[in-house]
Amino acid sequence: MVNMFSVVKKLIEYPRLTKDYPKEPLDSSQIIGMPKIDLSKCNRCGECVSRCPSSAIVLDKALDNIGINYDQCIFCTLCEEVCPSGAAKMTNQFESAEKDKNKLRMNTTVIEEKDISAVDYGIICNELKVNIKKIFGRSLQIREVDAGSCNGCDYEINALNNPVNDIERLGINFVASPRHADMLLVTGPVTRNMQLALVKTYNATPDPKLVVAVGACACSGGIFRDTYAAGNGIDSIVPVDVYIPGCPPRPQAIIWGILKALDRIK
Amino acid sequence: MVILAELKNKLTEEFSEDIYKRAEKSNELYLEVNPDKIVEICTYINIEQGYPLISMFANDEQSFCDKYAVYYVFADRERGVLLIIKTLVDPQEMKIRSITEKVHAAALYEREINDLFGIVPTGHPNPKRLVFHSNWPKEEFPLRKEFDLKQKLDFAQEEINFQKVTGEGVYEIPVGPVHAGIIEPGHFRFSVAGEPVINLEAQLYYVHKGIEKMCEGQSIEKCLYVSERISGDETFANSLAYCEAIEKIAEVQISYRAKYTRVVFAELERLTSHLGDLGGLCLDAAYGFATFQFRMMRGWAYGIADELCGMRFLRSVNKLGGVRKDFVEGKEAKLIAELKKIKTELDDTVKIIKAKSMFIDRVENTGILQNKIASDLNAVGPAGRASGLYFDVRKTFPYEAYDKLEFDIPKHYNGDISCRMNTKIEECFQAIELMIQALETMPDGKIFVPLNCVKPYRFAFGLTEAPRGENIHWVMTGKNNTIFRYKIRTPSFCNWPALCHAVKGNIVPDFPLINKSFNLSYAGNDL
Repeated sequence: MVNMFSVVKKLIEYPRLTKDYPKEPLDSSQIIGMPKIDLSKCNRCGECVSRCPSSAIVLDKALDNIGINYDQCIFCTLCEEVCPSGAAKMTNQFESAEKDKNKLRMNTTVIEEKDISAVDYGIICNELKVNIKKIFGRSLQIREVDAGSCNGCDYEINALNNPVNDIERLGINFVASPRHADMLLVTGPVTRNMQLALVKTYNATPDPKLVVAVGACACSGGIFRDTYAAGNGIDSIVPVDVYIPGCPPRPQAIIWGILKALDRIK
Repeated sequence: MVILAELKNKLTEEFSEDIYKRAEKSNELYLEVNPDKIVEICTYINIEQGYPLISMFANDEQSFCDKYAVYYVFADRERGVLLIIKTLVDPQEMKIRSITEKVHAAALYEREINDLFGIVPTGHPNPKRLVFHSNWPKEEFPLRKEFDLKQKLDFAQEEINFQKVTGEGVYEIPVGPVHAGIIEPGHFRFSVAGEPVINLEAQLYYVHKGIEKMCEGQSIEKCLYVSERISGDETFANSLAYCEAIEKIAEVQISYRAKYTRVVFAELERLTSHLGDLGGLCLDAAYGFATFQFRMMRGWAYGIADELCGMRFLRSVNKLGGVRKDFVEGKEAKLIAELKKIKTELDDTVKIIKAKSMFIDRVENTGILQNKIASDLNAVGPAGRASGLYFDVRKTFPYEAYDKLEFDIPKHYNGDISCRMNTKIEECFQAIELMIQALETMPDGKIFVPLNCVKPYRFAFGLTEAPRGENIHWVMTGKNNTIFRYKIRTPSFCNWPALCHAVKGNIVPDFPLINKSFNLSYAGNDL
């Protein structure tokens, strides 16, 4: 009886903790987000390029241009620390998910859009996806697949269910089986041992489906890029609809990415 | 050191002719011994002297002595000394005598060495592959120096053999690698008769990324960032162990302000991790109210992290030679207030859950890890402390400022879920107290000393107490401030076999609960 009173007391003490993100923006003043390089201050010394742990910074000597591949960036703040001219600065921008990987990249050589003939199923699927987004808009079932992450991204996805984020308020649920899912949230660079499991999970998810790559590893392999046991990101195995950079991306950045995949954020 | 001399004399008395070389460094005693006598020597150290095997690894040293080396690391936890036995392996033979029959904790290490180096432990009771699944070609060994990091080998087609339990009514339940919850991948094979589990075999290494190989030849600075990404929720403990090792090699003394700052972050990580575990435990017992209480508190703990460094996972805080910025300056009073708020709330919540008989019924006497099994397998951290192994790296090998701060180690002996839960609850309170102590007594001073160069071919251990337990990193430097070999042993590696034992005899529906009470990292185990 006493116990029940204590519980009721707590319920009254904390009636609602949920923040109505993205309607109510997050106070990002303390957050470390994406790094930016101020081209006017940068003297192209290449210090950050050689020291970047995930080789995300690219210097194009011919065009006299420098930039960051955000899909590879692990947000480690080292470029800001080593920059002699103060051109590299960390910003507090964290809502950085993109549908097109090239928008996250400085050099766009990695994935090229192929010409698709008119009868291609890809186009039919894409048209279907537009309709599906209207349907999924209000109810979406997600299956999470860890394909080799360090578990940072998984903890952040877990945090979507905590009282602060409570993703179910947006009509989004996590389900136990890929057969019930509309969307796969994939983390990690795809390890050799998880490759088959990822393909099987993808195939088990009924069409049409969406795939979201969460974190630097899933977007490009991140710091674990290209080893004997780890791949270069999810899109080398399955097609990806939205890329969410970050290492790990914070829960709000993941929500923003999921909503972007659904076209609920333009 | 007197202790080292004593230890050395003892061993020399017993095995005078079989010890070839000796070397001492601070609290590490290295002895190179006769490979033919390795079983006798390890048995003497482990069984007669009672020093547990805490790590074991191989190293390709062909570039300077034409041989492979295998290191056996034993710890004298009462006196804070590491005893490292080294043997050389001829590249033509590639065989060592297995010590698993006598020193049970060596079972997984020897299988790991077999997979990564191709050094065969002769006489191993279960020489099944560990790191590689059936898709890996049998004659490739990635940690040999001649193996190219970037090569992608063809997929081999073979079956994985699991332990078979036969008999009337015995059936198998395969689970994973993709699980129902939001957790990491791993495959569990239960052999069940009716409800109770007879045997559990865990097939891990689904997230093996080749971290140890990847670090070889990389700069010491880059490897710091890799060490932060070994296991997400143990970011700080892992990077701290790496920094400790490098700082020991460079013989750099870091300032007290940096040491105290590191304590604050290490304890904050422990608090966050344990609150998550407790929440998960309540969730798996379908106790919604308590789950959300713990998740709320975890959210507050993450809030503190955000306030301190802008990163929820405490990444980019450590730096070789100290910490990156003066993170706590001017924030002390606010932090202490936040911590006290968590403490009060935790106190209330713990009172409520302990009065809930339905919950206590599930956790008491479930998933018992017996003391003998725990000590044979060298179970570490809260899991070990709940089964009567009362050691903590913060006390046995004091690092940073822990020898200047006051705290106790929680002591439980029943080894069930309830004991592990209580250990974690008590550690949460300890962590809060430690943070407040560190914030109140933090001395002024510099926050880092520059550390850019290390001498080649030096090596040292870095030990820390991660939220899950004893964490050991061994680093050997190479030329031009690079890493020659980086051996990582996280607490999860020791506790996975312990978990498999704790599950036996329990009913299948209790498995998630037992699993959560250990809450092991797959990434930290698989590397």
